[in-house]
Amino acid sequence: MLRSLLLASSLATLLCVSPVVAAPPLVLAVGGEPEAGFDPIMGWGRYGNPLFQATLLKLDANLEMVGDLATSWTLSEDRLTWTISLRQDAKFSDGSQLTAEDVAFTFNTARDAGGLTDMTILKEARAVGPYKVELELKKPQITFTSHLVALGIVPKDHYGANYSRHPMGAGPFKLVEWREGEQLIVEPNPYWHGGTIPFPRVTFIFGDEAVALNLARSGAAQLVAVPPTDADMVPAGMHVTHVQTVDNRGVMFPTEPAGGTTDTGAPIGNDVTADRAIRVAINQGLDREALVALALNGHGTPAYGPVDGLPWDNPDAHVAGHDVAAARATLEAAGWQDEDGDGVREKNGVEARFPLVYPSSDSLRQALALGFAEQLRALGIIAEPVGASWDALARQMHSSAVVFGWGAHDPSEIYALYHGSFAGVDWYNPGFYRNPVVDAHLDAAQGSADFTSSLQEWKAAQWDGTTGFGAKGDAAWAWMVNIAHSYWISDCLDIGPLQIEPHGHGYPITQGLASWKWTCQ
Amino acid sequence: MTDLAQDVALAEEPSFPSEPVRRSRLSVRRRAMLSGAVALTLVLGVLIVAAFIPADTLRVNPATRMLAPSLEHLFGTDLLGRDMLLRTTLALGQSVGIGLFAAVVSTALSVMLGLVASVNRVADRIVGVATELFLGLPHFVLLMLVAYAAGGGVRGVILAVGLTHWPRLARVLRHEAQRVMASDYVAVSRGLGRSPLWVARRHLLPHLIPQIVAGFVLIFPHAILHEAGLSFLGLGVPPHLPSIGVILSESLRALGSGLWWLAFFPGLGLLLVALSFEVFGESLRRATDPDEGVA
Repeated sequence: MLRSLLLASSLATLLCVSPVVAAPPLVLAVGGEPEAGFDPIMGWGRYGNPLFQATLLKLDANLEMVGDLATSWTLSEDRLTWTISLRQDAKFSDGSQLTAEDVAFTFNTARDAGGLTDMTILKEARAVGPYKVELELKKPQITFTSHLVALGIVPKDHYGANYSRHPMGAGPFKLVEWREGEQLIVEPNPYWHGGTIPFPRVTFIFGDEAVALNLARSGAAQLVAVPPTDADMVPAGMHVTHVQTVDNRGVMFPTEPAGGTTDTGAPIGNDVTADRAIRVAINQGLDREALVALALNGHGTPAYGPVDGLPWDNPDAHVAGHDVAAARATLEAAGWQDEDGDGVREKNGVEARFPLVYPSSDSLRQALALGFAEQLRALGIIAEPVGASWDALARQMHSSAVVFGWGAHDPSEIYALYHGSFAGVDWYNPGFYRNPVVDAHLDAAQGSADFTSSLQEWKAAQWDGTTGFGAKGDAAWAWMVNIAHSYWISDCLDIGPLQIEPHGHGYPITQGLASWKWTCQ
Repeated sequence: MTDLAQDVALAEEPSFPSEPVRRSRLSVRRRAMLSGAVALTLVLGVLIVAAFIPADTLRVNPATRMLAPSLEHLFGTDLLGRDMLLRTTLALGQSVGIGLFAAVVSTALSVMLGLVASVNRVADRIVGVATELFLGLPHFVLLMLVAYAAGGGVRGVILAVGLTHWPRLARVLRHEAQRVMASDYVAVSRGLGRSPLWVARRHLLPHLIPQIVAGFVLIFPHAILHEAGLSFLGLGVPPHLPSIGVILSESLRALGSGLWWLAFFPGLGLLLVALSFEVFGESLRRATDPDEGVA
């Protein structure tokens, strides 16, 4: 016993005096466990950082695209073909070389698989050399670059039915163990082209939020995602970081007058919200700071549009809000008067009253719906909260205002939310919003020669000086808040600069995991 | 000595907490009347107060979030700044309303089935099997099934609670009907040529009415608690409407942050309403039970 103690202590001394400061194994509790496993073709990695697989491009902290596997990427004159050169030192975690064949295989398989990585726009991916690949599109679409960022490359020779449980790729980590619903253990991939990772192993803890909080309190976890209500009670040795996001919540308005029905018989349109004056006035009157205080415990930012702070955001399209006088003036000018003195405005016999649906399982959206409705009273508009299941909500979303949330590192999301061709498609554009000028801007953006030049068109779609989908133009939505993602982080852990995070709490923070540093001795 | 014996005997019986000690020699009947008065006052009070509060008085306010109980907010305020006294009262009003409706529906179903069972042997068998079948299923699973099938919401809760509380009372009524119909005086009445309707009215009903009343009163607290339970699980009332179940499930998330008042007062309110009816129902049953002996 004594001898083993001595041995242990001398070993410990040896470790302590060794010149290289070894980082401890890292334990993270940030959620993000994929239901379908770790197959990029089935959607793994669409929230960023596929761990095991490398991608052609990646986004840096400023959301600029930089090369990962790709050393150069160019779009042809007709905007239909991407030519991508690959780095030649990329190896899978079994030591085999990653070549253009693997890239072509991955893209073609993803196109055929359908599912969550919607790549129907891809005509064909071809390997034109050992390290050069061509991706040919059916029609110009600049947001195809988001697939270059999100789709992890799988090894052609090792891809099969079991791949999602036994992933292997050229990314920074390799899988050690995955116990579903409990934990995922990964170790650095020794063949990774990006350098050495200081942590000998990283464990992701899944499951109950309370477990994660307790792990952090006991010092067993170095980084955990925390709900806003608990965020401020930080355990010793950790600090709290509130990361800015585009994980937004807003109210979607039906912009058509009532009368129509969908193929499945769901009603389309609402006579009150179809009036632009109502939507503009709500955007002018809304006190978004108060909503952040009410629903998010102060941990968030007011949302003025769907893409606040992203490179394709147009700040000129924003309306500051919290201006009840301006909102009232807008309503009066449009003929909405409270003639019978009951506190609710009318116009041509129609009361300014509409249902406001929220998913009843989501307490945050409930709080926002109630806060929104409360603020609208001051304007003489009644939004009647309706709690519904997601199924019921889907039947009401074309004729009622609905609290929705979006937020992605990909401008194709605003294309889907506001383009007329997406009216009533899945969860996109449920309000049947249509504006030919906005559609033209969005189409022009997709047809751009490169991503940078597309930014102008994305911005013009929000507000081009005369119209747009933003609050100054058609005000098709009233965006309310961006939810700050709160984390407790060990004081010894340096996670570097952070991106504005997309929808989905937790996992996006691991974006720079491979370059995190341990700063304690 | 006699007093002591009586006290001991009384202490073993369920007694209403607010009942003064010096009245411990209350007869069963007076006890029933007293607990009934308390229960009815509570329920009517809640219903009337809730009915006179306009529905839109309950407002969210970022400036008054999570305040502890004070003179201004006697029950404190919730996560969205709503006054908990107001919210609890409205919620109890809603619970009592749903409970009353469900108790009426369930009692009506029980009476119908109890009477149907007394018609003949086949009907009796069918009612018996149906009753046992429903009693055999876990009640809450049944509640969830009906609430889900009815599409949730207030309607789902009312249907679920109303349609699942009849079996116990139906079984009691069926047995009572069987006992009465097999008795000598019914045989004599039949022999004298009285119609089945006359027998039902003159002999059966007087025996069933006390059971029905006690059954109704006893179903009521169960119905309220089940309504709260369904809403607690998210299968009932939508969460922005006042409901004790919703309040309690919300408070569960906030207990860790020390907001004890979110659960305490609404829980106490629910307990008081349910308990007062439980005691009333039990006393009523004892007062009307011929085997119990009325002092």
